[in-house]
Amino acid sequence: MIDYKKKLATLSLQTKSIFSGHPIAIAGLIGFVIFVLIALFAPWIAPQNPYDLMVLDIMDGLLPPLSKLGNGTTSWLGTDAVGRDILSAVMYGLRLSLFVAFVATTVGFLIGVFLGLLAAVKGGWVESVIMRAVDLKVSFPGILLALMMLAIFGTGVDKIIYALIIGVWASKARLTRSSALSEMQKEYIDAARISAIPNWRIMLKFLLPNSIAPVLVMVPMSLSGCIGAEATLSFLGVGVPITEPSLGLLIANGNDYLLSGKWWISLFPGVVLVSLVLCINVVADRIREHNNPFLKSMNMQ
Amino acid sequence: MNNTPLLKINNLTVTYPLNSEGSDVLKALDNISLKVNSGQIIGIVGESGAGKSTIGKAILGLLDPPAKLVSGEIRFLGNSLVGLSEAQFESLRGNQIGYIYQNPMTALNPVLTIGEQVIEAIEANTDMRGKNAQEYAIQLLERADVSFAEDRLQKYPHQLSGGLCQRIVFAIAIAAKPKLIIADEPTTALDVTVQQSVLQTLIKLSQQEQIAIILITHDIGVIAETCDYVYVLRYGKHVEQDATNKVLQRPTQDYTRALMASVPLIEKRLHRFALNEEDNLEDTSTGLHYLQEKQTTQDSTNEPLLEVRNLSKIFITPSSMLKAKQSFTAVKGVNFTVQRGETVGIVGESGSGKSTIGRMILGLEDITEGSVIYRGKDLKLITDSTERRAHCLSMQCIFQDPYSSLNPRMSAGENITYGLKIHNLIDNNKAGSLAQDLMSLVGLKRKDADKLPHAFSGGERQRIGIARSLAYRPDFIFCDEPTSALDVSVQANLLNLLKDLQEQFSLTLLFVSHDLAVIRQMCDRVIVMKDGEALENDSNDNIFEQPKHAYTRSLLEAMPKFQGLAQY
Amino acid sequence: MIRYILKRLWHSGILAIVMSLIVFFGLYVVGDPVEMLSDDEFTEQDKIDLAIELGLDKPLFEQYFTYAGGMLQGDFGTSFVHNRPVLELILERLPATIEISLLAMIIGLSIGIPLGIFSGIKNNSRASKIISFFTTVGYSTPNFWQAIILIMVFAVFLQWLPASGRGLTNSMFGIEWAWLSLNGLQHMALPAINLAIYKICMQQRLAKSGTQEILYQEYMTFARAKGISRNRIIRRHLLRNILIPIVTITGLEVGGLIAFSTVTETIFSWPGIGKLLLDSIHMIDRPVVVAYLILITMMFVFINFVVDVMYAFLDPRIRHQK
Repeated sequence: MIDYKKKLATLSLQTKSIFSGHPIAIAGLIGFVIFVLIALFAPWIAPQNPYDLMVLDIMDGLLPPLSKLGNGTTSWLGTDAVGRDILSAVMYGLRLSLFVAFVATTVGFLIGVFLGLLAAVKGGWVESVIMRAVDLKVSFPGILLALMMLAIFGTGVDKIIYALIIGVWASKARLTRSSALSEMQKEYIDAARISAIPNWRIMLKFLLPNSIAPVLVMVPMSLSGCIGAEATLSFLGVGVPITEPSLGLLIANGNDYLLSGKWWISLFPGVVLVSLVLCINVVADRIREHNNPFLKSMNMQ
Repeated sequence: MNNTPLLKINNLTVTYPLNSEGSDVLKALDNISLKVNSGQIIGIVGESGAGKSTIGKAILGLLDPPAKLVSGEIRFLGNSLVGLSEAQFESLRGNQIGYIYQNPMTALNPVLTIGEQVIEAIEANTDMRGKNAQEYAIQLLERADVSFAEDRLQKYPHQLSGGLCQRIVFAIAIAAKPKLIIADEPTTALDVTVQQSVLQTLIKLSQQEQIAIILITHDIGVIAETCDYVYVLRYGKHVEQDATNKVLQRPTQDYTRALMASVPLIEKRLHRFALNEEDNLEDTSTGLHYLQEKQTTQDSTNEPLLEVRNLSKIFITPSSMLKAKQSFTAVKGVNFTVQRGETVGIVGESGSGKSTIGRMILGLEDITEGSVIYRGKDLKLITDSTERRAHCLSMQCIFQDPYSSLNPRMSAGENITYGLKIHNLIDNNKAGSLAQDLMSLVGLKRKDADKLPHAFSGGERQRIGIARSLAYRPDFIFCDEPTSALDVSVQANLLNLLKDLQEQFSLTLLFVSHDLAVIRQMCDRVIVMKDGEALENDSNDNIFEQPKHAYTRSLLEAMPKFQGLAQY
Repeated sequence: MIRYILKRLWHSGILAIVMSLIVFFGLYVVGDPVEMLSDDEFTEQDKIDLAIELGLDKPLFEQYFTYAGGMLQGDFGTSFVHNRPVLELILERLPATIEISLLAMIIGLSIGIPLGIFSGIKNNSRASKIISFFTTVGYSTPNFWQAIILIMVFAVFLQWLPASGRGLTNSMFGIEWAWLSLNGLQHMALPAINLAIYKICMQQRLAKSGTQEILYQEYMTFARAKGISRNRIIRRHLLRNILIPIVTITGLEVGGLIAFSTVTETIFSWPGIGKLLLDSIHMIDRPVVVAYLILITMMFVFINFVVDVMYAFLDPRIRHQK
């Protein structure tokens, strides 16, 4: 318990040293936290459930922001063609977009770290197979790969998560391997080996904690990348199904109405999407900068 | 004009901010004054953190931010250099004052040819262009003793050896016949055998061209060989200055005296280094008891503890589509024995295979041919896993690099006892106190056992490493250049500790080093290695006083000679 | 050097074969073309006939070799939807994609790299901070959203530029190009800018971090100590070294451009191969999808090979690798 508290203390200290004196990054972090909270509590704070066809009224369709709905409530951000409240749709869309990106990033990260460590420790043909697979993946743009996968498997939330995982794991595996290999050159690994410490313990207790830092630094970047990729694929109509609109699909739905002056349907999901990705990216940049010795020395100027 | 010194520094102070607000600063240089006359070679000596390199950078306006020149005066030929513009510095650098870096491999741009880099310096500082510049470049390389100068111009830095690259850096530095060269550890990154000749070239150039040199180094031997006058620095502060002979023979300050006493001598073997060591205030009795418990169980036979028979190692890079199999023989049929309680040294240059032998003995490297007999048994032939493990654990290692030999994510105590706990050789609840006992034994504080490695200095980390190997109560310890990354005074302290431990517990050590003087001080018997072969194996005195092999003699000749170093 | 090139060539060959296998088996085995082509009215017998017609009753490897053999002779099959040879369809659309990608590349490189080097050198200046902020916003904005904004601003409100189609094309070397006429150029402007914005942001960031890393190398300080002027150090030492990562990235980014052109072309109705791919995916026109992916793969393999060779050309340490 004390150990846990201690770790929490060092973590908060670390967070402070990363963010103090960088107002843009702090704003990004706060923004991100707010988005996550909205996504988590969407079912309780959204004015209506946009998935529930019973509450939708076609008579409320295509109303501009601040309009009164048939049931007497105000639609702050307007409604779409089927009378769905845009604010609610954005909240639910945010929920789905973040969910997909979180799951894909986490699973991709775990797979990547595991394979990277395995390649570094095992060497030989295991390493060759893993690293050639990484080369294959890296030489191919992620969005095309995802398109290809979705063309094969069809669309759906689970399918898009698989497609995104494929995009995430390879770079993590490559980085973990190179980081682990440079750790393995170090003498504390030799010290563990001559003390006959079993390989799996060396992997978990020596290699993993010491080689994971540079990979962790990449995680926020992957997260924002996944959000963007999911939005793009959904916009193109090969992502999430029409019944569960994510931010990208909401924009696509509104796209048809843009030219007829009904701007609110696309604009609000778009603004939320861009702000979300931007928030994550400024935080990601700050973390990377903090971990880069070159930039660090210069920031003291 | 004659009594105007070439360079004069008065009360120079340079600071680094320690926090982002700059309220807390580290004084890299604190009120330093020095003087160089034309044609003179002066030395600046000090250990790491002394601020030696900062002086050189400050003179040429090359201080990297956030370092800041706060106060003081630098006058070159009477003109102030403080606050010059970048353009004014440009006309000074290379032209009037040359600079030589410690590591030639990082000082030369990897994607430009040697020719491009030398000619660039010529064109920047002289009127010579095109063909003239090219010819002059060849001349310069020849003057810096670079063979095949014309061919070398076409090469890239990575195609040449470190020694050659450093000579090329010399050539660049003298291109515009500057009046002063600042040489920052010019030989430290080079192999022992070439250090001497590279240094000779630098001195020769200085004499031929009447160039004054500020030689910045941690190596007292280099100072003794080259400098007329020396300044001793510590933590950015001036300690002592005088003619080199006086400082080396009759130092007036405690720090200088301790520094001189720390320099391992090659002339004779001392029992211990004569240092003013602080008494160990910690209670060491339980640690002593822990280690002595084991000693009583030992059988005392006359057979050697370790016997290495015809040991060879060939590294093979596997063949691929377009590349034939390549092999490199690191160790060629080496034989030797180590008796119980004996310290055997292996000395050789980098690539001589000396560490590989140790790694094969420890099982970190596969043995290509030959065998290692330890406690009368060939490790390869032991099949029982418990016996095998006991065998392995009784051989330990003290590593070279204090910054990588400990797991950074484990506390010092955890590092020491982790293996014991894994093998259930100690109860989990007793591990903490054992770690403390061992730490006190190697001169560390008991209460520091909970700290992570980064909280310790290099010397302290090596002590933790020693404690870790002692935890297994080993019969045999392989010391792989345990002090080569340390400052000379820290080295002396650590070597004293090893001598004490060896005496107290009659440890058996195999001590590998590139430093002849360290080997001289530490070992009973010495093996000289070159290119994987053991050339000579004899007692300490015989090797150093009557070397039989020509290579051993050349190694000894390459050592800096300095007579009359202060003896205590 | 020759050995290095041969080695790369060998790797490229393997990569090409493996990729084509994955694409082929992915599309023909994991997905069932019969299911996708048939609708509810198909009887079981119809399905079997269709399978035989498509050669799907034969063993997998035979199918692959038949396909690969045809491919080598330039036969990529026939489009279900257009009922024309796939290769013809792709070649017809290729120039459109090439011209906007190239234009975007040129814009991206010529703006992004100078900006990046500038903000790397003047890291703490206000200008550098502003540039970096804008590029962060730029690459945080998904491509399709940028496209929508561009259309709204320049096509709908300002009505300066057309928002869809390729406009007039003229013939050169027997190929139709849009950039040869003003009308064509106007049509190219928005899609090319859309693709270029991301390029500019990416290149700025890469060039900036590359510059900073090199600035702090010891040979940069040594060059100053040699008395070389600042401008010359930047021209020679910095640029020569920074070229290495930039060439690598640029090469790989060509792939990214082609990939993102699917999005841009779809939104701007630009008749390139990206739009063809997406339309084919929607209409389940498998032969086109397979052919597109295999051709694109070959192209990536080729680009990677060129990048590796250029890399060796620029970095002597690799050139001399034994």
